[in-house]
Amino acid sequence: MNLHFPVFELPAEAQALRREVRAFIAAENRAGLWQRGGDFATHYDPAFSRRLGARGWLGMTWPRRYGGQERSMLERLVLSEELIAANAPIAAHWIADRQSGPLLLRYGSEAQRREFLPRIARGEIFFSIGMSEPDSGSDLASVRTRAVQVDGGWRIDGRKLWTSFAHLNHYAIVLARTGAAGESRHEGLSQFIVDLKAGDLEVRPIVNMAGQREFNEVVFTGSFVPDARLVGEPGNGWRQVTSELAYERSGPERYLSFIRLAEAALQCAGANPSPRLREALGRTSAKLIALRSMSIAVAALLQQGAMPNLEASLIKDLGTAFEREQIGVYRALRSELAPASAEYLSALAETTIYAPSWTLRGGTREILRGIVARGLGMR
Amino acid sequence: MTATLQPVLSADAMVRDAAGRAFDDLAADWFRSEATFPDDAARVRKRQALLNAVAALGFADALASPDAREAWVDAASILRAQARSAAPIDMALLLATGDRLASIAGDPSLYECAADAGLPGNAQAVLALALGRCLQICAALEAALDLSLQYVQDRRQFGRPLARFQAIQHSLAIAAEELAASTALTDLALACMVREGCASARLPGLLDAAALVLGHAIDVVYDASHQAHGAIGFTREYPLHRHSLNLLRWRDDLQRLRGGELRCAERLGDAALQAQGVWSAVTALMQPGDRHD
Repeated sequence: MNLHFPVFELPAEAQALRREVRAFIAAENRAGLWQRGGDFATHYDPAFSRRLGARGWLGMTWPRRYGGQERSMLERLVLSEELIAANAPIAAHWIADRQSGPLLLRYGSEAQRREFLPRIARGEIFFSIGMSEPDSGSDLASVRTRAVQVDGGWRIDGRKLWTSFAHLNHYAIVLARTGAAGESRHEGLSQFIVDLKAGDLEVRPIVNMAGQREFNEVVFTGSFVPDARLVGEPGNGWRQVTSELAYERSGPERYLSFIRLAEAALQCAGANPSPRLREALGRTSAKLIALRSMSIAVAALLQQGAMPNLEASLIKDLGTAFEREQIGVYRALRSELAPASAEYLSALAETTIYAPSWTLRGGTREILRGIVARGLGMR
Repeated sequence: MTATLQPVLSADAMVRDAAGRAFDDLAADWFRSEATFPDDAARVRKRQALLNAVAALGFADALASPDAREAWVDAASILRAQARSAAPIDMALLLATGDRLASIAGDPSLYECAADAGLPGNAQAVLALALGRCLQICAALEAALDLSLQYVQDRRQFGRPLARFQAIQHSLAIAAEELAASTALTDLALACMVREGCASARLPGLLDAAALVLGHAIDVVYDASHQAHGAIGFTREYPLHRHSLNLLRWRDDLQRLRGGELRCAERLGDAALQAQGVWSAVTALMQPGDRHD
């Protein structure tokens, strides 16, 4: 077994940050600036993102010269988990802070870092993921969007799909084929920073099952991207895109999406809590402790410069399966509540509707289990 | 920041092997000292179980003092190594007693032997015993999974190794995920013991969590490993049964040492109610206390 989840304790500065974030959220709630609700990936509020930016809480691990605070991945984990546990509206900045920024930091040019990172850190610009296509979901290497070199840049033709908030965000990092696929099919892919506000591409809305305008189809027809917007080396796109995965798959959003429902049930426990509710709350806590310990380990490994993609994939599969199972647990406890509150009913309805997305986005459970199986030597 | 970020615990295979041999020596000494026992099956059975209890408690006592906390890392290695080697159970002897239940369970539970010895009166020793069982369970889960991973590479059906079938891959991947969660939680409890000692206020809660998470992991690994093995895994000649039987017995011990599976869940649930939030309770339980050095 080559799985590695060393035990790390959160440093004192991370504990101090937790108190600071909890106080901030309490003040936001007192001021009624937003309501709990929706889902971390779809609760979109640019003003909230800018308030986080003003506190230095976006891009907080990045170098100061790019607008960061040079804080650790463990501090970022504490901030993330507190925001998600509070159902804060983080969707606007989430992708840029979690993976687009780190991608540019790792592979972007100096000019790209100076242009984009400080603005991400201030909450001024938001990013979308441009990976999936109509015929390329889990089989990402099969993308057919093409970028062809022209004078001064690249012309892009093709379609990206399920591009969350492309209609509101400013940029997308688009994976496109720029050369022959090779035997591995992983060659000849490149990533581009695409300006979603440019006139030469089309953003078509797709309403999600919850009735929200979240997804889009982004259509490129000879859309021009200047050379300066190529990320990293041409043809290195596969390596770059997989480097985003450890950031994307190991965080608290992969095991806390349901927490609002458990907390709502707890608030309805009444003076004499049902033993069944007490048992459920205990079982939830136990698995959360295990998952959180693993997530802290991955954050610490990232801090050390490792790329724990296997561990991250494992956390996402285990965590999202747990999240989905929790909904059934707390739905069954409805008759044990004294009585069920409006918040419980709302949390139950919303988590139930959003649950299918948890085990799809960022890698389906089938893909993740395949990655774990490969790590175990079965593939 | 990066320079100070070191894992609280790290495994070392050489230390583990040496510790495993030390444990075997300890066991041999104990058997010699008990040589006056009448050699009937029930006595042997009882003695084997008591050996387990004394061995674990010996470590706990040695390690309970604040000066000796670091030695817990060695104790953990010993317990893991011993659990991984899973010495064969002398089933002929057990079957000769005619006690079929005992033959399935292997031997009387550690919990009963600990109770006979008056150990539950010593709350810290019981915590040490429970942590010992967690370490043994993780080692046995890993051993069962390792056997399964090897078997599905070797065994061919329909013209290819079982490992090439996606259904097998996913079943064992899920088992590996449960093992990873169990190990992470056990290592967290071990780190708590090393840093804060047996008297840590957090240790009982972490062990309650372990009793639940490991308890479930055993179900998953027991199912997946035997399913992958087919009939050979359900025999006395193939080693999987040693790990399976140990897992079932050790889970019983762990959960009974903590008062039962439901009590573990209810205590953690009460902690969440008291903290007025699952999340608050989880972060509090995982936050190192003031006692650590």
